[in-house]
Amino acid sequence: MSDVQSFLFDGVSIPCTGRETIAAALERAGIRVIGTGQGDCTGRYFCGIGACQACLVAVDGARMEACLTPARGGLQVKRILPVSP
Amino acid sequence: MSSPEVLVIGGGPAGVSAALELARAGIDVTLCEQGPRLGGAIHRQPDDPTQSVRVPRSHKQRWQAMSDELAASTVKVLCRHMFAGIEATGAVLLEDRIHGRLVTRRPAALVLAMGAIERVAPVPGWHLPGVVTVGGLQVMMKSTGRAPDGDVLIAGSGPLLVALAAQMASLGNAPVAVLERSTRLMSVSVIASLLRAPAYLWEAAGYLLTLARSGILPRRGAFVTAIAPRDGRLSVTTLDRHGRERQMLVDRVALHDGLLPNSNGTMAGQHGPFIVRAGDCREVLGGTAALADGRLAAHAVLAQIGKAVRATKVPAAILARERQAQAALNTLFDYSGRDPAQLPDETIICRCEGRTLGQLRSMLSGDDPVSAREIKLNGRFGMGACQGRFCAEWVASFVASQRADGSPPQASEIVGSRWPVKPVPIAAFVTLPPSHPSE
Amino acid sequence: MAVVGAGIVGMSAAHFLSRAGWQVTVYDAGVVASGATGSADGAVSVASKKPGPLMTLAVAAVKFYEQLVATGILVDEYLPRSTFVVASDHEELAVLERHAGELEAAGVPIRMLKGAALMAVIGAAAPTAIAAAEVQREGHAVGYRVVERLRQLGGFAIRRNCRVSGFESSNGCITGVMTEQGTEPADAVLLATGIGSMHFLAESGLIRPRKGQLIVTDRAGADSPHFPGPLMSCRYLVSKGSQPADSAVASRSLGLVIDPLRTGQFLIGGSREDRDDRETADADVVATLLRDAVALSPSLAQLRIIRVFSGLRAATRDGMPIVGHVGGAENLWIATGFEGDGICLGPMIGRLCQQMICGESPEQDISALDAARFGLTLAAAA
Ligand SMILES: Cc1cc2nc3c(=O)[nH]c(=O)nc-3n(C[C@H](O)[C@H](O)[C@H](O)COP(=O)(O)OP(=O)(O)OC[C@H]3O[C@@H](n4cnc5c(N)ncnc54)[C@H](O)[C@@H]3O)c2cc1C
Ligand SMILES: Cc1cc2nc3c(=O)[nH]c(=O)nc-3n(C[C@H](O)[C@H](O)[C@H](O)COP(=O)(O)OP(=O)(O)OC[C@H]3O[C@@H](n4cnc5c(N)ncnc54)[C@H](O)[C@@H]3O)c2cc1C
Repeated sequence: MSDVQSFLFDGVSIPCTGRETIAAALERAGIRVIGTGQGDCTGRYFCGIGACQACLVAVDGARMEACLTPARGGLQVKRILPVSP
Repeated sequence: MSSPEVLVIGGGPAGVSAALELARAGIDVTLCEQGPRLGGAIHRQPDDPTQSVRVPRSHKQRWQAMSDELAASTVKVLCRHMFAGIEATGAVLLEDRIHGRLVTRRPAALVLAMGAIERVAPVPGWHLPGVVTVGGLQVMMKSTGRAPDGDVLIAGSGPLLVALAAQMASLGNAPVAVLERSTRLMSVSVIASLLRAPAYLWEAAGYLLTLARSGILPRRGAFVTAIAPRDGRLSVTTLDRHGRERQMLVDRVALHDGLLPNSNGTMAGQHGPFIVRAGDCREVLGGTAALADGRLAAHAVLAQIGKAVRATKVPAAILARERQAQAALNTLFDYSGRDPAQLPDETIICRCEGRTLGQLRSMLSGDDPVSAREIKLNGRFGMGACQGRFCAEWVASFVASQRADGSPPQASEIVGSRWPVKPVPIAAFVTLPPSHPSE
Repeated sequence: MAVVGAGIVGMSAAHFLSRAGWQVTVYDAGVVASGATGSADGAVSVASKKPGPLMTLAVAAVKFYEQLVATGILVDEYLPRSTFVVASDHEELAVLERHAGELEAAGVPIRMLKGAALMAVIGAAAPTAIAAAEVQREGHAVGYRVVERLRQLGGFAIRRNCRVSGFESSNGCITGVMTEQGTEPADAVLLATGIGSMHFLAESGLIRPRKGQLIVTDRAGADSPHFPGPLMSCRYLVSKGSQPADSAVASRSLGLVIDPLRTGQFLIGGSREDRDDRETADADVVATLLRDAVALSPSLAQLRIIRVFSGLRAATRDGMPIVGHVGGAENLWIATGFEGDGICLGPMIGRLCQQMICGESPEQDISALDAARFGLTLAAAA
């Protein structure tokens, strides 16, 4: 594939194609735990259509559903760690 | 005078069909889709066009025809534009994710075609990573063109279970098992009803044939009772129709218990545009009905804004036929989920806030009939980011099961009913230009 | 004893009255906390009060919360903390310094923060902040949770969805409460009906709804800067409460408070609008509040708003609450008009109502709130 790029996920380089979502790229990289999550639930891919909010990640500082957000080369994607109560 | 603008939300078959029908009538239409591409649940397009999941040829042709017409039409398509709701003065809020900003529109009419969301009945462990919805796994598979890796268990109820299983099998990784809660079998009357919409029978037959070849026909009457993490995998406890318990060790569990319209927070206010819902967002009837319903929605809009509507009974007839077919189909499934009374207290009900069944139960102990609003506020059920989409129904039905006095709360009292329909980044919100200077 | 209204005032009064030996029933047209109490922020705060009787009462109300925690009644429901009033220019600084002086005079401990000290204490403040007054020894309580705790402690009955339409009386004494579900006997009545109070009073235009819109964010991340307590824009002091409700034009003002909640979320508010469409929130107000919030604390831009709601404050003609006896019936009392201060004052007012109704002399001087200043009488229709 000619259009392979990569973004950083918590500092780790994740390859992606120009057309896939962050969720798809993380899935291919074998990453299932994509955040510490809220309310004792780990961040994870779940509904795939942006409804459940479980796959929220910080994309260049802004919170986005990984399943709706296109992966692009150079993005800084981070897990959202909740504040300890 | 420029012609009135109509906004269509949702780039699935219902939304695209509505937009096209309006454009044919010469209306200025903008179609907004939250995702990066059009297609919706059924016509989701692959990331890499050379790697796609096999779908029925008729589906492919239908979508191709629509895409071609759309490309040649005057419809303005805005992808990565999320409908965020209608605010007090009637303005429609759109979150433009391409530019990271919020924009407002004041269309003459609004067609909401935001599709359905999946129901997933809570079981212990449903919130663990690796547990996904059946549709979610299908979305992933349709996008990547690859079957999900590892051992996959599919469970719940509904036609989507076998569809996913067969598509996985065709891509070379059949699920380890398909557990279909329902024990009901095809009857003559169901077949008779479905003969009026035979595409379903063909589709189902194709899927079942594929599954039979892989040796994994659905186990009817079986369901998941608990999921727990074990050695980096998922240990799943199941019960079969004879009450036998079984343990399985898998990598993923895909759950699904039917579909619900995705229409949270879209109540028409005092101000604002004329609103019509279309497709699964109005009534869950599937893709064929969504196409017809999109046209009907467009006709309702045209009538409202005083444009002549070409008289045709075709879409209404299609809708009626599909409604009958879906009703017949639904008799085969069991969407009830597990009786919450049988779930252990530590089962998480509201995943966003991490609230458990035990916490709900303790709120209901005592004679005082606490209201849905009190349960929501004090119990925090439905107060999280998904705004109750995944728990409201279960909270309401559990409360009802505990109350003999016939005053069950409505799920609508727990689900969010106001804008924003979905969380909106503050960074986007602050870009909204002030309409009048702040005092 | 019939208490009409299951907001924080009515529920607190019911709590104390039942402990004083009354058999109490609380009636509410909706459910518990369905009025202002369920759609408010929970500043138990002196920081924004105007000098005078309200500031004095607020100081006492904060102590009363501390007492309720100490006696086990509101354990875990009151979070002591400081409020930070931030000035972003020299004009605001002048207002801030004057206000801080007034607070100190009322016995409130204040620490002025500037420069490096300011940044060290409030990591989340924008570099444009030039000074902040840390108003110490106040706190936060969520109205609906306080009320829920009182409900759980019990001792009185609650009748939900049971609107009170009027009273039955004989010889200038109320003998019964007329509700949608029939008339029930009562020996005494306390109206704690918030914005619904006008229905019972002969005077018109005394209490007006003042809408407030509030924004809820999702939870902050571990990397978000530190909020030691709520940040209040100094501009809030100009718009806050205690404005009479008789101005002819429907006005709107915004005052900014960024309140870090225990859940890790933020409550950002709020507006003060002389209108009563409680079910709606408009994008213009929300965007303006958010712009101001981000100016005060830029890191908020990373978060998302998950909910917007509004509530109606009960604003009186002279900006002061009304507590006392209502003319036209010997055994009728009222406690209403708490505008933006009822979460702070509510529990203490409940206690004071109990003392007043039991014929004891109230612990605090509430003569400035006396209903007699308006010569309140029962409406003929009630
Ligand atoms: C996950 C899933 C998988 C499914 N798979 C199949 C299948 O394989 N075969 C089948 O026959 N049926 C399937 N269905 C049923 C399917 O819903 C219908 O067949 C058909 O797609 C309905 O068309 P629609 O246009 O009403 O909705 P959809 O096709 O769901 O389209 C709705 C569109 O609206 C967009 N949207 C949602 N919210 C917003 C918002 N706030 N702002 C902007 N855009 C928004 C969505 O991204 C989506 O593109 C599936 C349903 C789901 C939920
Ligand atoms: C946006 C906003 C922010 C606020 N922030 C703060 C804050 O930070 N700090 C603070 O101290 N205060 C704050 N307040 C103010 C505070 O919420 C109110 O002052 C307080 O809740 C008033 O309590 P209440 O019991 O008098 O009235 P309510 O809570 O309004 O209760 C009155 C009850 O009476 C019932 N009722 C009315 N009529 C009838 C009838 N005829 N029969 C039966 N029942 C009836 C209603 O249903 C209602 O439940 C805020 C208010 C708003 C709106």
